[in-house]
Amino acid sequence: MWKKAYEWLDERLGLNAMYTNLLDRPEPRGNWWNTLGSASLFLFIIQGLTGIFLTVYYTPSPDHAYDSVQYIMNGVAFGWLIRGIHHWGASLMVIVVFIHLLRVFFTASFKYPRELTWLIGIGLLITTLGMGFTGYLLPWHQMAFWATTVGTQIAGTVPFVGEFILKALRGGPELSALTLQRFFAAHIWMLPAVLAGLIGVHLFLIIKHGESHYPSQDE
Amino acid sequence: MNDETKKQINAKYERELQRGERFWPDSIFKDVVVSLGLFIVLVLLATFVGVENSPKADPSDTSYIPRPEWYFLFLFKFLALYGQIPVLGKIEWLATVLVPTIGIGLLTLLPFIDKSPWRYYTRRMLPLTVMGLIVIDMVLLTMMSDIPTVAEDGSKLLGLLQTTAGLIVPGLALIALFFMAYKRDENPVAPMLWTLGLAAVLMIGFTAVTLALAPPAEAEEAVASTLVDQITAGQDLYSVHCVECHGDDGKVTVIEGVEGLEGKEVSPINSRDVLYTLNDASMAEIINYGRPDAGMNPFGKAYNAEGLTKSEIDYIVLFMRYNWDDRFEKPVFKPLFPPLADGEVPSYDVHIAPMVKRYCVSCHRAGKENNEFVMTSYDEILTTGDNVDRNLVAGDETSYLLQVIQGHAILNEQGEEIIGVMPPKSTLKAEYIDAWIRWILNGMPQTAEDAAKLFVAPTPAP
Repeated sequence: MWKKAYEWLDERLGLNAMYTNLLDRPEPRGNWWNTLGSASLFLFIIQGLTGIFLTVYYTPSPDHAYDSVQYIMNGVAFGWLIRGIHHWGASLMVIVVFIHLLRVFFTASFKYPRELTWLIGIGLLITTLGMGFTGYLLPWHQMAFWATTVGTQIAGTVPFVGEFILKALRGGPELSALTLQRFFAAHIWMLPAVLAGLIGVHLFLIIKHGESHYPSQDE
Repeated sequence: MNDETKKQINAKYERELQRGERFWPDSIFKDVVVSLGLFIVLVLLATFVGVENSPKADPSDTSYIPRPEWYFLFLFKFLALYGQIPVLGKIEWLATVLVPTIGIGLLTLLPFIDKSPWRYYTRRMLPLTVMGLIVIDMVLLTMMSDIPTVAEDGSKLLGLLQTTAGLIVPGLALIALFFMAYKRDENPVAPMLWTLGLAAVLMIGFTAVTLALAPPAEAEEAVASTLVDQITAGQDLYSVHCVECHGDDGKVTVIEGVEGLEGKEVSPINSRDVLYTLNDASMAEIINYGRPDAGMNPFGKAYNAEGLTKSEIDYIVLFMRYNWDDRFEKPVFKPLFPPLADGEVPSYDVHIAPMVKRYCVSCHRAGKENNEFVMTSYDEILTTGDNVDRNLVAGDETSYLLQVIQGHAILNEQGEEIIGVMPPKSTLKAEYIDAWIRWILNGMPQTAEDAAKLFVAPTPAP
């Protein structure tokens, strides 16, 4: 019965081919440092799932953002757990992505033929930091408000175009409801879309070239 | 890179694959273990550390010291230290724009800058030591991020130490590393490692000195996070700011005994008229901006830097809702202080202070008519007031304070009232009066430890 069902699915999906191409691949001998990339992916998925749950109650408006977060923490069953994981997951993701970068740097894994994988990886790092920056404003508390005020101010010091960047980030000269709305949009739609796309290319390149091996003395 | 080298690299990789492992299950197993470990760490952090709360954003409160997310702190500190450099330090965009852009640019273009096929660690000493130096500096800058560059007494020692640890030592080490990499003929592995090690020791040393000399961080005030805490905070604020005009139950219709507003007619704020027709936001705005024509003063920061914050106003609104609005069910509250056992002596910190805050400070603070009796701290309660030698007398049942809270006004020799009953428009609960009596009869201890020493075991009933 199960065998029949599997064969039916295999005929249509090509499960066996997927197994040989994706899972049953040879890899160079690795160690625990090689797990950081998949750990970043895992954290991205966790952030995505908890983030989706948070949007059920979160309201991106200055009048309600703070109260809706308070309600998630106190009123919603296990809201504190979901938000706690999302909050700490953000920090952990930045750490894990950064250590992943250091590992690749120290073992020179960015060299031929994996240059493009590295470029995409830098894009992933910047987007992850962007997620942290936009997500930090959303609870609309004092720390968030003033950190974003200063953060956008710093972006405004760019010569010539600084003023434009500042206004584009804030949606006006001051931090306002528009800022919150566009940070929210960036945090839940734009940046995750970019992140997911880049992760796809990153994974494709890793499967194509295989994981790099640790260098030996003659290399 | 020519085709011959590429072929060699690919052949080498094939050999590594031959003596390697399988993606499934070898690599996947490790990946799953690490991911699961991270998930457990996240759940533990969320459960036992939680998320730090902060008051609601308040654009008018410009005194708030901003801090970015912790992973940007090293950049923040770098900016502050960079600002100390003469002349160059004044050109802000060099540090805010140019340095980060160069950093990210170098990182991005790394595969095109470092095009040599060499991968083994000793053949890549320059990139490895430079990256090591930068990572150590990032960690140390993050650790120092909270410490001011100029101390309160104007001393610049802390700033100098930080600049040495975070900019000067790593800068010099960077120059030395580049010099060694390009000026020596043989591969200088050991000298470069020694340079990195020495720089690291110096940087960590200067950071340690900075941290040791830094003034202790001020403890941040806890933010009320549960509904009960917020309503209690609201009640305390209401007791200080609102009681004089609106009364402790909010049903005052004509203001009495308040300078400048005497006889003003107001709507009772505990009525359905007010509570059903105004939503929380409107009530908060009325408290914030006031209604001058109707006699309501503004209490927010818009007109007064010392005024209430947005969060504080929200707490008052919550207090009003949950106490007077019959559509809301009041949660269970903790008592002001734990009930006193037989023979237990109350202390200022645990028992008296919460009562004073709730029932007395509204009038007994600077700038109010109160016979100069100010009750905002332990010392003031004992040392201020026109009748300071009679208000609180250790062991004396006839202390003025005890008399007035039990309903006896104090009269002078001509029979005129000099102190009325307190609180003026209500009476304290019996257990509160009992705590006051026990406190004064036992010599008014300040801390819970002092009070515990005075504990007298009650004689057991026969």
